[in-house]
Amino acid sequence: MELFIIFLSAAIVNNFVLSLFLGICPFLGVSNKTSSAVSMGMAVTFVMVLTSIVSWILFFVILVPYKIEFLQIPSFILVIASLVQFVEMVIKKVSQPLYRALGIFLPLITTNCAILGLALLLSMREYSLIQSVIFGLGAGVGFTMALFIMAGIREELELTDVPKPFRGVPITLITAGLLALAFMGFAGMI
Amino acid sequence: MKSVIHMIATLTIIGVVAGGLLSEVNNWANPLITANQKAETEKAIFLVQPNGKSYEPVKSQELEIYKVFDENKNIIGYSLVSAGNGFQGKVKIMTGLNNDLSKIEMIEILEQVETPGLGTKITEEPFKKQFEGLQTLPQVKWVKGKAPENPNEIETITGATISSKAVVDIINFGLGKARSLKEKGAL
Amino acid sequence: MKEKKSLGYEYLKGLWEVNPVFKQVLGMCPALAVTVSVMNGLAMALATTFVLVFSSLLISFIRKLIPNQVRIAAFIVIIATFVTIADLVMKAKFPELSKALGPFVPLIVVNCIILGRAEAFASKNSPFRSLIDALGNGTGFLIALVVMGGIREIIGSRTLLGYQVLPNGFEPWLIMILPAGAFLTLGLLMGLANFYVDRKNRIEKQELVQKYRKTPDSVEIKGQEA
Repeated sequence: MELFIIFLSAAIVNNFVLSLFLGICPFLGVSNKTSSAVSMGMAVTFVMVLTSIVSWILFFVILVPYKIEFLQIPSFILVIASLVQFVEMVIKKVSQPLYRALGIFLPLITTNCAILGLALLLSMREYSLIQSVIFGLGAGVGFTMALFIMAGIREELELTDVPKPFRGVPITLITAGLLALAFMGFAGMI
Repeated sequence: MKSVIHMIATLTIIGVVAGGLLSEVNNWANPLITANQKAETEKAIFLVQPNGKSYEPVKSQELEIYKVFDENKNIIGYSLVSAGNGFQGKVKIMTGLNNDLSKIEMIEILEQVETPGLGTKITEEPFKKQFEGLQTLPQVKWVKGKAPENPNEIETITGATISSKAVVDIINFGLGKARSLKEKGAL
Repeated sequence: MKEKKSLGYEYLKGLWEVNPVFKQVLGMCPALAVTVSVMNGLAMALATTFVLVFSSLLISFIRKLIPNQVRIAAFIVIIATFVTIADLVMKAKFPELSKALGPFVPLIVVNCIILGRAEAFASKNSPFRSLIDALGNGTGFLIALVVMGGIREIIGSRTLLGYQVLPNGFEPWLIMILPAGAFLTLGLLMGLANFYVDRKNRIEKQELVQKYRKTPDSVEIKGQEA
């Protein structure tokens, strides 16, 4: 039950994009088409689950026992960067179709603050390993959902007559604001 | 080959220098951070026990609770920390209790992420004041939309019912644990 | 020859022309997340500027020593080090602010402004120019965050820097301090900025067109008279 609450909270109530503002860059950049939004979301979810495992081990098995928590930021960012590289290499070797679908999005993930934010949050909240994995999964699903909904709206938006100064990023932000308002309706579920 | 050595050497040097620098900064900052955290807890303990002069933590695995003493070292009550889910996330509360845990002295919201302007009203005086001198037996209760009739009731905030109920639940949860500790004689 | 631009330009361009938030659309996460009040925005911007200035300076000093293949990794380590310093100092000296900003201080590491300036400017320019550039971008970021924080604080909680500025009769717009308000404010501000730039460009173009039109016209008239 507790795990379910963590999942729901990360995916919907405290959605990474719409209420914690993590991962705004890809949210604005890759939400043009629903198809690329799904691929990006899948890549992020995959990396998030891996990150939650690796950063949990790094933090609670290495940094905390040796009292070197102050190295948290450099070590997390290096681990995430190498993890993404590694995942890219593995996918390229194992499955060409998957690489074609996710490949171009992977390098973008390193500087995605949602991933580092996830690692920092799970260490701040002192989750257990299983809770961390569920948290990572929930965050990834929430991210994918936000990206997918946004892409759907933007595809429609292409056909509308937006005032010129508001085309592109400004109207996307305003749409995101309305979406965030809608997501507030989920508050109170936990 | 030379370039590989160059690459590794550069990164190692940067890493070592960065690590050394950080450990120095950490040595300076760590005592201050610990002191800040301690001061914060201390402030909250005495905030909910206005007559308290000194305190001592009770050793317990399941509950964060402090014994509070007056100037003559007589125990006047307890300050108890409990946490739970509010409307949007974790709410952490410090509750001041009298000696036999039957009455609340005062409460203080330590952490909350409730909706600004609605749920955050739980941190404001009018709501917190309702808990002053509140009876806790058999447990704290809430009423909605009318003035409380019994000495163990508080009225929920309009527009923030869930947050208000959460506060009551969290206090009851902490109280329950404190009572079982008391029965075991650990308090 | 035109490559070396004046130092004043290097500073001022960051304020408006390439303002990190409004124009480059970088550093959006902190710009949206921490700007519920002016104070938070200010603190966040100062912490970011601190990291930006010192990492730019250091990267520029050692730019010739770092092999090209590992430069990004080296930059990230340097940036992460300064971010940790900023985080520790804030926790030690300003615990309240550090609590209000939460995980967003550590997240300065992945703020694209810093890596962006390191890669695009500091790794190619002298330390002094990098310093000026970093200060300019930092100030631009500061302006953006303070404007955002100011608007949201005044309308959302009637206060500015904690002092009440709007009368009690004004019902605060709660939406402004909610996440949705952040998106809306930034979207509207960016739209406004675009509108202003568009209009300015159009007026300049018209003036240019008129100027060119006038010259041949008057020549023609003179020719006819002769």
